[in-house]
Amino acid sequence: MHLIFAIGVIFVVLAFRDSNYFEIDNLRVVLLNSSSVAIASVGMAYLMVAGGIDLSIGSIFVAAGFAAGDLSLHTSPVIAVLGGLALAGGLGLVNGLLVWRIRVSPIIVTLGTLTLIEGVVTVVSKGAGVYGFPGGFLSIGQATPLGVPTEIWLMIAFAVVAAIILATTTIGAHIYALGGNREASELAGVRVRRLTLGLFVFAGLAAGLAGIITSARFGVADISFGVDFNLNVITATILGGVAFSGGEGTVGGVMLAVIFLNVVSSGLIASGVNPYYSDVITGAALVVSVGLEQLTHERNDRIRREVALAEMLAAGGSDETAAPVGKSSRSFAALSPWRDR
Amino acid sequence: MTTGTRTTERVPVVRCVGLTKFFGGVCGLADVSLDLFAGEIVGLVGENGAGKSTLTKILSGVHSPDRGELWFGSERVGSLTPHRARMLGVETVYQTLELCDNRSAPANIVLGQEPVRFSVGPLKFVDRKAAARIAAERLSSFGTALPDSDVAVRRLSGGQRQAIAIARAMMRGNRLMTFDEPTAALGIRQKRATWDLIRRVASEGVAVLLISHNVDEVLELAGRIVALRLGRLTLDARTEAVTRDEVEAHMSGLAR
Repeated sequence: MHLIFAIGVIFVVLAFRDSNYFEIDNLRVVLLNSSSVAIASVGMAYLMVAGGIDLSIGSIFVAAGFAAGDLSLHTSPVIAVLGGLALAGGLGLVNGLLVWRIRVSPIIVTLGTLTLIEGVVTVVSKGAGVYGFPGGFLSIGQATPLGVPTEIWLMIAFAVVAAIILATTTIGAHIYALGGNREASELAGVRVRRLTLGLFVFAGLAAGLAGIITSARFGVADISFGVDFNLNVITATILGGVAFSGGEGTVGGVMLAVIFLNVVSSGLIASGVNPYYSDVITGAALVVSVGLEQLTHERNDRIRREVALAEMLAAGGSDETAAPVGKSSRSFAALSPWRDR
Repeated sequence: MTTGTRTTERVPVVRCVGLTKFFGGVCGLADVSLDLFAGEIVGLVGENGAGKSTLTKILSGVHSPDRGELWFGSERVGSLTPHRARMLGVETVYQTLELCDNRSAPANIVLGQEPVRFSVGPLKFVDRKAAARIAAERLSSFGTALPDSDVAVRRLSGGQRQAIAIARAMMRGNRLMTFDEPTAALGIRQKRATWDLIRRVASEGVAVLLISHNVDEVLELAGRIVALRLGRLTLDARTEAVTRDEVEAHMSGLAR
């Protein structure tokens, strides 16, 4: 995948500028910074491959972190984590039900819940952060079993299991099918409603898990944590090869993209470049990858036209018309109304 | 081919009795009764809005009739859902084929009923080799072969895509297969190829309902012709017993 190549290039460039970059410590920091985005991106990737999207995960990230942190002040860490996850899953379910029931684009619906959830968190927290979590809760984010932070273990385990499930199980096959052609999936017997709701819940849970771990790691839950989160997750997902329209993408690709984006931004910082440039890079990466995806769509259309044309010519004669090659992929993330589908 | 005998003892695989369906104030179907028998190709003709697709959707569980009965074999079927219809062997092949363009032929054919290698709790791991084998078997019985079974179907020719769509439907469509305008946009050669496929499906003992606005096609393929007009059944006769003009007259309601 071109991302591996890109990461390799960046590594080489950075090694040139700062030979200290490859120290284990640095790499650990890169991975650590990546892990919350990575975990949430897995959930988002699942949802987007199926053709959906959830723009509110930034708020779910924050809300779950807040809830878990706050709960940890009153109950055991286990309850705190479960409470945070329950909230995250519940919010994901709400998103899913809204998208399902209000047949408006998920973009619009989740944009609404993004603001809604953020507002509620602000009101409940009165704008202040939550901190002072007990050691038991903090250890979730700060313990280092075998010298590796919990977050990284979680990220790796989560990503590996998710990748396997998406690639080799019937659920994975149904997710890809749903993203490719929703009607066909429904007609084929895929439980579209159940799968859709489940995916929204999963995306919420992933974002929530990331939020809880982040709260535990930093010992603080604050609204500001969620600010860039949405953009980073969606950028990583799309850069990782998940098509906005659904039906394409892998967990591995998304993981590489997360690491790539982090390598870029931390590398820039390590080289003394203005940290805001990393925003420029992230934004540019998003624009470029969406652009590439559109070009791929057009290429696919061209392939279809060529196939149809070749058929027509092979059959020879004007009484032959090319067979209809079917509608292009449809999804319930009905974005880009100006794009010919 | 189509069955020629008229045995009154045959139990229809699908029986519609007095099906009526309204959409708001518009009548979709009015008191339609129809029997479909195994191995028989029934041509369903009618103008746009005559009720053809309403009837198909009731048979496939998408709509439920406001009045009337539906029988599969000797069992009365109430509250049919698309899922249950499929389980009972009813499948439809649409003009647009409704394939998942991003997926391969085997993936499309086994969609919803993937062969499972093993399960871990709720997770079922797909047996891709078995899927490829099933796909190859079914496609080769249609005379279609795919050099590379992993390629996304969007890259395949129209003829291959149609074979895949029919192969998918035949996975479970062992009672009734409805073909909705199967050759509407095809050239002569592909029409004939599709007709062969349809005949092959019928020869496997499946009841075939062929919806077509092309009367020639219906006369060619069907053993029996049924016409709908404004929701009502106006003709149900063996093909050899009607003329082309009669069929068209029953479709359009024009007096001859």
